[in-house]
Amino acid sequence: MNLITALARLLIFPGLLFAVPAAWFFLWVERKAVARMQGRIGPPFMQPFFDFIKLLGKSTPPRTGIGGLLMRAWPFIAVSAAAGAVGLLPVLPASGGFQGDLILLLALLELPSMCIIAAGFSSGSIFGEIGSAREAVLSVSYNIVFLLAIVSIAASQHTFSLAALAHQSASPLRWLGVIAILVCLPAKLHLNPFSLPNAEQEIYSGPMTEYAGPELAMWELSHGLEWVAATGLVATLAAPVFTLWWVAALVFVALCFAIVLLLSAVAAATARLQIDTTVRFYWQCTMIFAVLAVASALFMRLRA
Amino acid sequence: MNILAMLWKNLWGGPRTMLFPKRPVVTEHFRGQVRFNPDLCTGCAICRFRCTAKAIEFKAGKGEFTWSYDPGQCTFCGRCIEGCKTHAISQDSECPPVYTTIGELKTSYTLTRKPPAKPAAAAPIPAIPASGETK
Amino acid sequence: MNLWNKLMCYSRRHSPWLFHMNGGSCNGCDIELIASLTPRYDAEQLGVRLEGSPRHADILCITGPITNNAVNAIKTVYDQVCGPKAVIAIGSCPATTNVFIESRTLAGPLSKHIPVDVFVPGCPPRPDAIILGVAKAAEILAERAGKKLPIAPVVMPLVGPGCGGACACGNSAEAKTEEKPQEVAQ
Repeated sequence: MNLITALARLLIFPGLLFAVPAAWFFLWVERKAVARMQGRIGPPFMQPFFDFIKLLGKSTPPRTGIGGLLMRAWPFIAVSAAAGAVGLLPVLPASGGFQGDLILLLALLELPSMCIIAAGFSSGSIFGEIGSAREAVLSVSYNIVFLLAIVSIAASQHTFSLAALAHQSASPLRWLGVIAILVCLPAKLHLNPFSLPNAEQEIYSGPMTEYAGPELAMWELSHGLEWVAATGLVATLAAPVFTLWWVAALVFVALCFAIVLLLSAVAAATARLQIDTTVRFYWQCTMIFAVLAVASALFMRLRA
Repeated sequence: MNILAMLWKNLWGGPRTMLFPKRPVVTEHFRGQVRFNPDLCTGCAICRFRCTAKAIEFKAGKGEFTWSYDPGQCTFCGRCIEGCKTHAISQDSECPPVYTTIGELKTSYTLTRKPPAKPAAAAPIPAIPASGETK
Repeated sequence: MNLWNKLMCYSRRHSPWLFHMNGGSCNGCDIELIASLTPRYDAEQLGVRLEGSPRHADILCITGPITNNAVNAIKTVYDQVCGPKAVIAIGSCPATTNVFIESRTLAGPLSKHIPVDVFVPGCPPRPDAIILGVAKAAEILAERAGKKLPIAPVVMPLVGPGCGGACACGNSAEAKTEEKPQEVAQ
């Protein structure tokens, strides 16, 4: 993958130029779908865009010292990591890639949660600390299943390159892995039933309590880009192979849209679970999926 | 699975929201603003006495009085309407509007005192029998 | 830039984020505020979001007559809301302390402590009245951005309500804080 292709993927498609409007679109779809399923009207179409612009115009409290500098840096790191993750997605058939870019994608998908945890602790407010602790516990729980599922899909097909994974024919193991990833997505995206770090009545917006203005706009943007990256990963793993690039792009967007609707339905149908129930759910119920996936991956490698 | 059926019905059944700025029709006995009819007021100030929130103010002058009402202070309990003998104040179902300055909604009326109506020629009081005979 | 300014005005009017604070109320107005987020009245159609932190919000909604215990908390939270900001006093308690007018546990109406932009009267006000109040506050925020007014309203001496603002006679002794949009010289 040469520099031009890399820059095009990072900046144009599926990079920033596509991902930022797609992030706002998916955020709106989630809010509107949840509202309609609850019998309400919901926000108008450009609502996340107006929220972003309005936040850019607000003032921020003064931040002093190294802690203040770190507080200002975390949202930008989160946005760059999420944008990089979106840029790595193998949407188009001839997009190239390199061996091991799956590992890079997983690392970049992890960074926004790490930034949220770090931000809560560096904000110096007690609500931030509690929220970060909860986010850390949540992250440990769902990541085991998430990483095991992806690694088992990769290991069974003998490759760690995203392009190779996306454009190979699907095995039954891949569907098992996709289901496991879908179960982890509500926790990754802070949706009900695993929306614990955002528990407003309990901890006043958790890690984000002290953030305001443009920093908060960056956090919202990183959340939207996380939506695009996570649903895009599932879409590329689940999509059939097409040779025409625009058909592949359209199918990618349509699949992402379907996954967003599915996640919104789950979010509208459930209530927030407590931390012990969440951890028990991921360690007891979904671990079996991940163990099955790893076992069948090993089995397929031994047979091949 | 009931919740999923409910979500499906909500999704295709349409929203139940009233589009802003449409407001719902209130019920018949909704307690809204107090309305004053200056023609019927006799200046007894019972409404000021009964008001729980001191929303009604009454200043008595020479031959005239000032009655004022502030919907921003009112708690819409209705005690003043119960106390008024001449039904000069009544309560309708309209909510007071949103305002931006304190005291903006206060209304005052200055009325001259009407001379009390002379009672019609009274019937003569029947004479009490002196000897205590029963009727 | 004029285009950016217009976009900012439009965004401020269409994205009011609230933070709700109880200044000692009976909870009636708080319940009606939450009821305005339910499907029948749906404040989200205006882009309203009830936020968990005062730093995220534009509009501070205060209910309740301000008790002695609540005054300092309300002043602290008002300072924590990042500008540009607006304040809505929901119910008749924060505006005039309603039935508690001679109570010795109260610190007075809200406008004695922080500048208030919109008063929503009622005991409790209907949810649709609260949504009207939020829309008016969002308009005030957008106006402030458009006319480049100072972020917090200025303290002005009282002008009597019925006299058209011609003289400063007033009929109440205390100075009230009020935001008058300045006439922009064209």
